[in-house]
Amino acid sequence: MGIIIAVISGKGGVGKTTATANLGLGIGMNDQKCIVVDFDIGQRNLDMILGLENRVVYDMVQVMDEEATLKQAIIKSKVNENLFFLAASQSKDKSVLDSSKVEKMVTKLKEDFDFVILDSPAGIESGFEHTIEFADAAIVVVNPEVSSIRDADRAIGILDSKSNKVKHGEDVAKYLIINRIVANMVESGEMLKSEDILEILDIKLLGKVPEDRGVIEASNRGKPVILDKKSIAGQAYSRISGRLCGQQVDMKDVEISDSGLFKKIVGIFK
Amino acid sequence: MKSNQYSVKIYETTITDEEKFIAFFELNHTLFKDHLIVIQGSFSTRIKKYLKKRSLTYLHNIDLPKGRSRKALEEEFEEERRENAVSMQIAEAELKKLSSRLQNNLTVLDKMIRSGREINIDGDLLLLNRVNSGATLNIKGNLIITNVVEGLIRCGGNFMMLTASPKANIIFHDVTVDNELLEDKLNRVELKNNEIIITPVLKKEISWA
Repeated sequence: MGIIIAVISGKGGVGKTTATANLGLGIGMNDQKCIVVDFDIGQRNLDMILGLENRVVYDMVQVMDEEATLKQAIIKSKVNENLFFLAASQSKDKSVLDSSKVEKMVTKLKEDFDFVILDSPAGIESGFEHTIEFADAAIVVVNPEVSSIRDADRAIGILDSKSNKVKHGEDVAKYLIINRIVANMVESGEMLKSEDILEILDIKLLGKVPEDRGVIEASNRGKPVILDKKSIAGQAYSRISGRLCGQQVDMKDVEISDSGLFKKIVGIFK
Repeated sequence: MKSNQYSVKIYETTITDEEKFIAFFELNHTLFKDHLIVIQGSFSTRIKKYLKKRSLTYLHNIDLPKGRSRKALEEEFEEERRENAVSMQIAEAELKKLSSRLQNNLTVLDKMIRSGREINIDGDLLLLNRVNSGATLNIKGNLIITNVVEGLIRCGGNFMMLTASPKANIIFHDVTVDNELLEDKLNRVELKNNEIIITPVLKKEISWA
C-alpha cells in the first residue's frame, strides 16, 4: 500500500510539474516504485518534461471512463525502471473529472505503487480540488516571492478544508519546497528568506531548490535535471527525494552564495 | 463600665381626676405590669400609695426622648428601600456597560487564518495565531491577536490589541488606521470619547509562548 502525494502551488509557473518529474525520478532512483500522474487536464506538460510525449496512447480520462485499462495507459519511463507515468487528457477539460472515478483510480494506483504523485493544475478550481481530495500528503511548491506565497497559503487553506482525510478528522501532511532560490538576491534582501516563508505558511520544510539555468534546457530535452549530477537544482531534488524515501539528509543552505560564504569565512578571521 | 440596655414601653399621663385614674388602673393594672409609668404634673400621696400597692414602677416629671411614630418609621424604611433599589439599578447598569465594554461572547481561536479565509464574529475574538495576507477578519466586538497581522481587519469593539505588518489593512470603527502609527510590536487601539487612541503596549517585544 503506497502513499498519494499531491503536488500543489496555487500560483502557476512556480515549478510544480518540474518538481513532480524530478521527484518521481528521484524516488525511482531510490528503488521505490513510483507513478507520476498529470492531473492538469487540457494542459498536459508532464509528458514532455519526462520525455515521454510520443509514448502517450491512452490518458487518465479514458481510464476513468473505462475506455482503456490502467495497464494500457500507464507508460514506463525510458530512464528509470521504477518510474511510471499516467498522462492527462489534452483534448478534454477539467470538468470531466468526477470524485468517485478519481477515487477509484487513485486507490487502484495506491495498491500497485509505493508513491503516487499527482501533479495538480495551477489555481484552486475543480481540477485542483480533485487532486487534493484523496491525497495522503501534499507537497507545496513556492517561489520566494509574495504572490506565490499568498496563493500557496490559499491552496493550503482549501486543502485543510476540502481534503477527504480532513473530513474524516485526520491531518494531511504538508511539506514545502522552496523553488528557484537565488542566493545573491536573498542575501541582498530582494528575495524572501525561507524563515519568513515558513513562518507565513507554517508547514514543514522538505527542501530548497536553487535557481538553475539547466532546468529549462533539461525540460526542453525531456531529461529531468536530477539526471545531471553537476546541476545544483538536480542535487537539491536528489536530496529531497532521499528525504521522501525516509533517509536523513541534512538541509543544504542554498541561500548563501559562494561569495557570501567567502565573506562569512573572512568574517570569522576578522 | 458595665451597663445594661432595655427597650421599655412607657405610659405617660397627667392626672386631672384621681378617681378616674384609680378606676382606670383598677381595671387595667395587669396590662401595665411591664410598663414604665410617667406622671407629668403634680399628684397626691394617695396615688403614690396606690401605685406602690399595685407595685407599678413610675417616674415623676421627666423629659422623655420623643420617638418617632410607627407611620414615620415605616415611611422612612420605605424611602430607604426605594433608594437602595435605585442605586442597585444604577450599579447594575454600570456593571453591564463595563462588562460589555470588556467582554461579550468571547471566541478563542488558535489556527492560522490563511489567505482567502473570511471570519465574521459578532462578539469578541482572541486569536492566538497569525492572520496571513489575503485573509479577512470582521469582528464586531473587541479583538486581541497575539501574532502578526498581514491581512484585513475590521473591528467595531471598544478596543483591539495587535501587531500589524506594513502589509496589513486595519479598519477600526470604519476608520482606516495608518500602519505607520502602529509600531512593530503589540499595539493597543481603543476608542475614547470618539477619538482613536493608539498606545504601544510594551517597550519590549513580548513572547507569548
